[in-house]
Amino acid sequence: MRNLRGYFVFLLIAVSGLFIWSGCGKKQSFQTKKKTWVIGMSQCNLGEPWRVQMNADIRQAAKKHSEIQVIFKDAQNNTATQQAQVREFISQGVDLIIISPKEARPLTKPVAEAIDAGIPVIVLDRKVEGDKYTCFIGADNVKIGREAGKYLVRALGGKGKVVELMGLMTSTPGQERHKGFLEGIRGSKIEIIFSADCKWLEPVAQNEMKSALARFAEIDAVYAHNDPSAHGAYLAAKQEGKGREKTIKFVGIDALPHEGVRYVKEGILSATFQYPTGGEEAIEYAIKILKGEKVPKTVTLGTRIFTSANVAQGGEPL
Amino acid sequence: MREDTQTKTLHIFRLVSRVVDLLGNFRGLAALIAVFMLGVFLTPRSYDTGLPVFLTLRTQSDVLFEYAEFGILATGMTLVILTGGIDLSVGSVLGFAATLFSLLTIGFGWSLAPALIVTILAGCFAGTVSGFLISRFRMQPFVATLAMMVAARGAAKWISGGIKVQPGAQTWYCLQSRTPEFYEWMTQKLPRVGIQPITILFIVNILIMLVIVRYTRFGRYLYAIGGNEEAARLSGISVGRVKLVAYILCGAMAALAGISNAARLDLGDPEAGFTYELDAIAAVVIGGTSLMGGRGGMFLTLVGTLIVGYINKILSVRGVEEAFRLLAKGGIIVAAVLIQQSRKE
Repeated sequence: MRNLRGYFVFLLIAVSGLFIWSGCGKKQSFQTKKKTWVIGMSQCNLGEPWRVQMNADIRQAAKKHSEIQVIFKDAQNNTATQQAQVREFISQGVDLIIISPKEARPLTKPVAEAIDAGIPVIVLDRKVEGDKYTCFIGADNVKIGREAGKYLVRALGGKGKVVELMGLMTSTPGQERHKGFLEGIRGSKIEIIFSADCKWLEPVAQNEMKSALARFAEIDAVYAHNDPSAHGAYLAAKQEGKGREKTIKFVGIDALPHEGVRYVKEGILSATFQYPTGGEEAIEYAIKILKGEKVPKTVTLGTRIFTSANVAQGGEPL
Repeated sequence: MREDTQTKTLHIFRLVSRVVDLLGNFRGLAALIAVFMLGVFLTPRSYDTGLPVFLTLRTQSDVLFEYAEFGILATGMTLVILTGGIDLSVGSVLGFAATLFSLLTIGFGWSLAPALIVTILAGCFAGTVSGFLISRFRMQPFVATLAMMVAARGAAKWISGGIKVQPGAQTWYCLQSRTPEFYEWMTQKLPRVGIQPITILFIVNILIMLVIVRYTRFGRYLYAIGGNEEAARLSGISVGRVKLVAYILCGAMAALAGISNAARLDLGDPEAGFTYELDAIAAVVIGGTSLMGGRGGMFLTLVGTLIVGYINKILSVRGVEEAFRLLAKGGIIVAAVLIQQSRKE
């Protein structure tokens, strides 16, 4: 019995060690190459597909520049971890830090420390407080919501009944995408007949849509705050078995290549609006900063609309 | 005058509690009926029949369909809880199974049968590891299954590369534009039966387990171990082996729920099933099975799943705001459990 336990403990430690070793192996082999500039990238949560895409965009853009290398860190949705990561980058002496912060307030101080240490910082997607950072790159959720609203006004001929499947309504993107949508449909005869907080989750959106379908005979469109929720609503309509998925227009937001954009190609969604990750732009501005060029304090990214008409050409900028 | 009203109210309270007592073993059902009546009175009328939405056949089958995954998890969870244990890993194992099944069918283009078998075996394996740690090393179920919960989530993210497994998500996937027919078949009403295969899976599964728990030696051993583990051991029951089987079955059912989840969402999400273990435990406990082990049963779990499903459906159909939804849910759960416990035991 005791021997077995010892054997087991040894095996577990060995396996865990193997995972830790293989999990960071890629970065170490990357580090051995001589590069001019080292960029530290701290991502707040790689559990979200959109953030996985952001890292992929950064990696893709960085490949084009042989003079830089990027070290990626994932804070796994933990503010304290992310604070530590920024400080690690400072003591490591990286040339530039890119951070997509989990929360503004707790990360303001570590970012300021980096600036004090002479390391420029690019803040992506979510802001930090004050002005102790080099450049902020982010998109405008209110504008995206407004564009979605305007699109539905056009697509429905100015009137219709809409179901709104909202993102987590205690989060800023959820509130802004809702606010923008209301601005977009203002003055038209479009009416929101049913809305629910789906917390960005597809299974929840699917269940809420089923309730809406049971209650209302006439639904003209579904406005979902993210593409997975729009996809869930489509499946709910399809599972109903009355063919209503063909008459209802489903609109989503985010337009990740393998998610929203593909759904548009498949004819599942009528339209999706890109919420750009800013990964490519971050590398572009990083190189400008490292070369000593001046960059604006705030860069607001535009959005693109993808519909069946323009999806083959890669969408249209708005 | 005031005393008069007071005694009257007292009388009414006594009457209610006496009625509840008279229900005896049907108290669980009474709670279900109470929630059902809430549904009948509180939901708006449907557009096609004019009846309350809640009374329509489609709403009833929607509830069963939407809560089938939780019901399947709760069925496995009941086996474990009867032995006085708990399994926190079912949500993560569900996510792992959903990802694995999608990866096998969409990514590698496997046909249905081998993919099903491998996925269910993977669920069994997760259960085996937890059960082994618990029965062999006497690790506390909470701790052993907590470790499995974390590890299974890691495994799900690892095999999927951290993204949702759906056609076209990676260029090397065998299927690039559509999922296999099985996915849609699972979620469409069968022509003559009128309900979806996922719902049938839930109901058949819980009925089989009901028979096993109530009428087989294995079932009696579960109760004996949960009631008094030492006494069970002394009376010659192989406690470790029975517990191991309970955890293996629980893992297998988490895998079945994972396959259902993949079919329902038409993709394999490595994040699927996050916090589902809590909903499964809630369904078991609201049904009336004791967390201490040794008391309860499968029928109660069916009732508990329906109570939770009904509450969520009522709140959803009415379009209640999130904050009030959570508050109401908390209140109704406590009331449902109180109805069951009102008789002194």
